[in-house]
Amino acid sequence: MNSNRRIVVFVLSTCILYLLFSLIFSLFPAKWPSLQRINLLSDIVLQDTLKVQSSAGTETGQAVVPDTLIAEPAKQPLKNLSLYTLPHIVTSFSADTAQPALQQFLQKLAALKNGDQKQIRIGYFGDSMIEGDLLTQTFRRLFQDYFGGSGAGFVPISCPTSKIRQTVTDNYSGGWQEVNFKSKGKKDKLFLSGYLFTGENEWVEMRDRTVKESPAPVEMYLYYGHADGSMQVLVNGVPLTVPEQPNFGKLLLKRNKEPYVKLVSSDARLPLYGISFETPSGVIVDNFSFRGISGVEFGAIDTAFLNAVAQENNFDLIIFQYGVNVLFRPNDTNFNWYARMLKPVVQKMKRCFPTSDMLIVSTADRAFRYGDTYKSAIGIDSLVHTQAVLAYETGCCFYNQFATMGGHNSIVDWANATPALANKDYVHPNHRGAELLAGHFFNAIMRDYNKYIHYNRN
Amino acid sequence: MPALDIAELGRQLLYDPKNPLLFNHGFFVFFFTIFMVLYYYFRNNFAVRRYIFCFFSLYFFYKASGFFVVFVIIAAIVDYLVSNAIFRAKSKQGKLLLLIVSIFFNLGLLFYFKYTNFFIACSNEFLGTNFNLLNILLPVGISFYTFENLSYTIDIYRGQFEPARKFSDYLLFLSFFPKLVMGPIVRAHDFVPQINKPYIVSDKDFAKGFYLILSGLFKKLVLSDYLTLNYVDYIFDDPARYTGLENLFAIYGYAAVIYCDFSGYSDVALGIARWLGFSIPVNFLSPYQSKSITEFWRRWHISLSSWLKDYLYIPLGGNRKGTVTTWIFTLAFFAGVFMACLKLFNLSVTVIISLLLLLLFLLPAFISKQVKAISAGFNLLTTMLLGGFWHGASWSFIIWGILHGIALAVHKSWMLLTGKALAGISNSRWYNAITIIITFHFVCLCWVFFKAADVAAAITMIKQVLYDFTPDAWPGFFANYRSVLAILLLAALLHAIPDSFADRVIDKFHRAPLLAYISLFFLFVLLYGFFKSSEQVLPIYLKF
Repeated sequence: MNSNRRIVVFVLSTCILYLLFSLIFSLFPAKWPSLQRINLLSDIVLQDTLKVQSSAGTETGQAVVPDTLIAEPAKQPLKNLSLYTLPHIVTSFSADTAQPALQQFLQKLAALKNGDQKQIRIGYFGDSMIEGDLLTQTFRRLFQDYFGGSGAGFVPISCPTSKIRQTVTDNYSGGWQEVNFKSKGKKDKLFLSGYLFTGENEWVEMRDRTVKESPAPVEMYLYYGHADGSMQVLVNGVPLTVPEQPNFGKLLLKRNKEPYVKLVSSDARLPLYGISFETPSGVIVDNFSFRGISGVEFGAIDTAFLNAVAQENNFDLIIFQYGVNVLFRPNDTNFNWYARMLKPVVQKMKRCFPTSDMLIVSTADRAFRYGDTYKSAIGIDSLVHTQAVLAYETGCCFYNQFATMGGHNSIVDWANATPALANKDYVHPNHRGAELLAGHFFNAIMRDYNKYIHYNRN
Repeated sequence: MPALDIAELGRQLLYDPKNPLLFNHGFFVFFFTIFMVLYYYFRNNFAVRRYIFCFFSLYFFYKASGFFVVFVIIAAIVDYLVSNAIFRAKSKQGKLLLLIVSIFFNLGLLFYFKYTNFFIACSNEFLGTNFNLLNILLPVGISFYTFENLSYTIDIYRGQFEPARKFSDYLLFLSFFPKLVMGPIVRAHDFVPQINKPYIVSDKDFAKGFYLILSGLFKKLVLSDYLTLNYVDYIFDDPARYTGLENLFAIYGYAAVIYCDFSGYSDVALGIARWLGFSIPVNFLSPYQSKSITEFWRRWHISLSSWLKDYLYIPLGGNRKGTVTTWIFTLAFFAGVFMACLKLFNLSVTVIISLLLLLLFLLPAFISKQVKAISAGFNLLTTMLLGGFWHGASWSFIIWGILHGIALAVHKSWMLLTGKALAGISNSRWYNAITIIITFHFVCLCWVFFKAADVAAAITMIKQVLYDFTPDAWPGFFANYRSVLAILLLAALLHAIPDSFADRVIDKFHRAPLLAYISLFFLFVLLYGFFKSSEQVLPIYLKF
C-alpha cells in the first residue's frame, strides 16, 4: 500500500496545528514565556508585551541604583559621580576634569621620569581576569618601557595558572602545604596573593622571562611570615638565614644579572608566600590574582599583618579589579549586598596603606545566554554603578573598564571576532583581548599623567 | 494585541547571513509543508515534480548561504556539459582531457575558497613572504558537492554510468536539499535513476523516515546543542584554565557532539529522502562501537570513506602498487614528521621516532613477505592525510588525518602479528570490550586535534589531562555539571542501542494511527523548547 498520502496528511496537519498553537502562544505571551522559543510566529508577530528583559531598565542604560548609596553624592558639590560612565579615563570624580586623579602616584612617577632613582610599586589586585599575568604583563611592560624598571614583581610559590604564565616560568616539588582564600583554615596571615605555603625540604625554582639584557642586576626577594626564631633556607644551593619577623618579612635572596632562583625550604614552621623579581629603581607591577573571588576576601587578613606589609613592601598605587564573580546569575540586578560587604574591606586597605593611591577598576563586560543569543548580563550597569559609588564614597579613583572595552555586548563581539579577543565563556578576554585592555588602561593613566604634567606646569 | 509584521514577513523570505536556514528553523516547517503539498499534487507529472524539487532545493540553498547558490548552478552546468562531452568523445585521450578539465574546474573552485588562505599563511610562515590573507567566505556545502561532481564525471569517464539525460536531473542530484549542507555524499548512479520513478512510499518507509527525522533532530538539537553550549565550547576555548578532569570530559563531550551533530544531520536527510521516495545509503553505524580503527572507518561517515576509497585510494594504487603521488606524499609525511619532532625533541629522539614510523609501514611487508604491502600502507596514509585536509584547511586537520592513517597501519600490523595467536579470544566479550575502549579513546585523542583552535591548544588540552588530573575535583565537578553529565550519559546509552532494535520497534508500531505520530512530534517540540530555554550551565573553578 502506498503511504505517500499519509506523509502529506501528517505534514499538513502538523503544520496547521503548530501554527494554531503558535497563534495561541502569541496571544498570551506572558503566560508561557518559555514556549516563545518554539513559536513559529515569533519573528513575524509584533509583540508589545515581549519586552520582558527591558523591564530591568538596562536597555535604556538606566541602572538599578542602590538607594542608600546615591543620596550622598549630592552633598559634595565639587564632585560629580556621573563621570564614572566615561570610557578611557581615570576619574577621582572631581568636577574639575582638568585636575589629575591619581595625584600622589603621578607626582612620584614624574619624579622618576625626571631622573630620581626610586622604586614605584603598583599592586594590581584581581580575579581570573588577570590570572596567568594576563593584562598585567602588558601593563607592566608599557610602564617599564616608559619609566624604566625591570622584573615581573611578586610571584607566589605556586598557583593554578603558573604553567600558562609566560612571564615567569617555574617548577616546584609536590609536597608544599598550602592555605588559600578558598581552603579551610585560618586566613588572617595570608599574603595579598591569597596564599601561604609551608614545607620541609620542598623546593621551587623560578625564572623571570621578562628581564631583557638589563645593565642593572635584578634583585630577588623572599616574602615570608612569622616563625618562632630564625630559620634556614637554601638559595641556589647556598644556606641563608631568614631572621624572625613579628608579622611579615622581605629578605633579599640574590642580586644577579641572571633572573633565576632556586629556593629550598628546610623547616615546615616557616610560612612562605613567594618570590619577587625587581629592580631598585623604576616601576614594579605585582600581579595578585586569585580566581573566583570578589575582593571581600581581603577582610580576613589581619590588620597588623597588613601594616607590616605596608612597612616592608609599600604600594604607590593599589588597583582593585573585581566584580565579575558576583555577577554569576543571569538575572541578578541588585548588588547592594556586594557594596555593603566590600566597603569596609576597601576602607581597611586604605587605612593599612595610607600613602597609596587606590583605584577601583570596574568589571569588564560579561554575557549570558538569554533565549537564543548571548547578551550582556542584564545587571551589568547596576554592578558598574555599584562599584563607582563605592569608589566615590571611599575616596578611591575609578576606571570604567566596561565602558572602555565597548560597553554592552562588547564581550560577545570580542568572543566572536576573528581572531577572537575573548573566550567562548563570554567572561574572559583572551591574551589578545587582555593586551588591548592593558593598552587602554595604560593610556588612561598616561592621559592622567599628562594632565598632571600640564597642571603643574601652569 | 499582537499584530502581523508584514515587512518582517517579506524579509523572512530572503537570506539572512546571521540566521541561515537549517532544519530546526520555524521557516523550515512552512518551507517543507508547501513543498510536500506541491510534490504530492504533481507526483505523477515527473517533469513538473522535478522542476519543483529543483526550485525548492536551490531556494533552500539560497536561504542557507545566499548568493553562493550561483556556484551550485554553475558547477551543475559545467559538469553536465563536460560529462556529456566525455561520454560522447571517441578517443581515450579526448575523454582524459575533458576529465582533467572537470577535475581542474571542481578542485580549483574548492581550492580557491577553502585553501587559499592556508597556503598564503604557509608561504608567509615558511618562505618568509608577506602576503595578506584574503577575505574569502567558504560557500556552504562546497566540499560535499565538489566530491559529488567529481565522482560523477569520473564514473562517466570510467564508463560505469551513462550521464543524466536531462539537465534538471543532474541539477536535482547536486542540489537535493536534504543533503546539500552537510551530506551524506551521494553517488549519481544511486540517485539519478530514482528521480523519475513513481512516488511510492510504504507504511514502513513512513515510520522509518519519521524515526530518522525525529531521532536526528533529537541528536542534533537536544543532545549536541546542549553539550556544546553548556560545556564543550568553553573548555575547548581555553583548556589551560580547566583541570584535567574537565578537559577529559570535554573530549568525551565533543566525541558525543560531533557524532550527534553529524549523524543527526545525516539521519534527517535520510529520513526526508525516505519520505520523498528516495533511498540514500546509511552514513553512520554506531561508530563508537567499533572494535578497531579499521572498523571505525567502516561505520563513521561511510559516504566519505567509501568515496575516498573509490576515487583516491584505488587510483593511488590501492593495495596493489604505489604511484608518484603516493611517494610524494610519503616523502612529505616523513619530512613533516622529522621537522615537527626536531622542534619538540633533540636530533636522536627525532631520528628514532622517524625510524620507528618507517618500520611501522615496512612491517606488514616483512610479515606477509609481500613488497606491495608497503605501498598499500602508504596509499592509506596519503588517503587519510588528504581526507583530513578535506575536513578543513589547517594543520590540525592534517594531523588528525595522519593520526588515523598511522593507526590504520598499526592495526594492520597488529592483525598480521596476532591474528592467529589471538583467534581464540578475539571474539570473547571482554576482549571486545577492551578493543572498543581503546579504539574509542584513540578516536577521542584525534578529536582533540579536530576541534581545538590550533595545534598548540590541542597539545595544552592533552597535557592538562595527563599532568593536571586531580580526581579530588570530582565532587565539585559532579555538583556543577550534573545536567551535562546526564545528557552525556543519555547520548552514550542511545549510541549503545543496537540498530536492529530500532528496526524491531518500527516493525511493531509502524501501523500506529497518525495521531500518535503527531503527538510524538509535538512532544519532541516541547522537549526542544524546554532545552532551548533551560538555564545555562556555567563553568566553575575546581582547583581549590
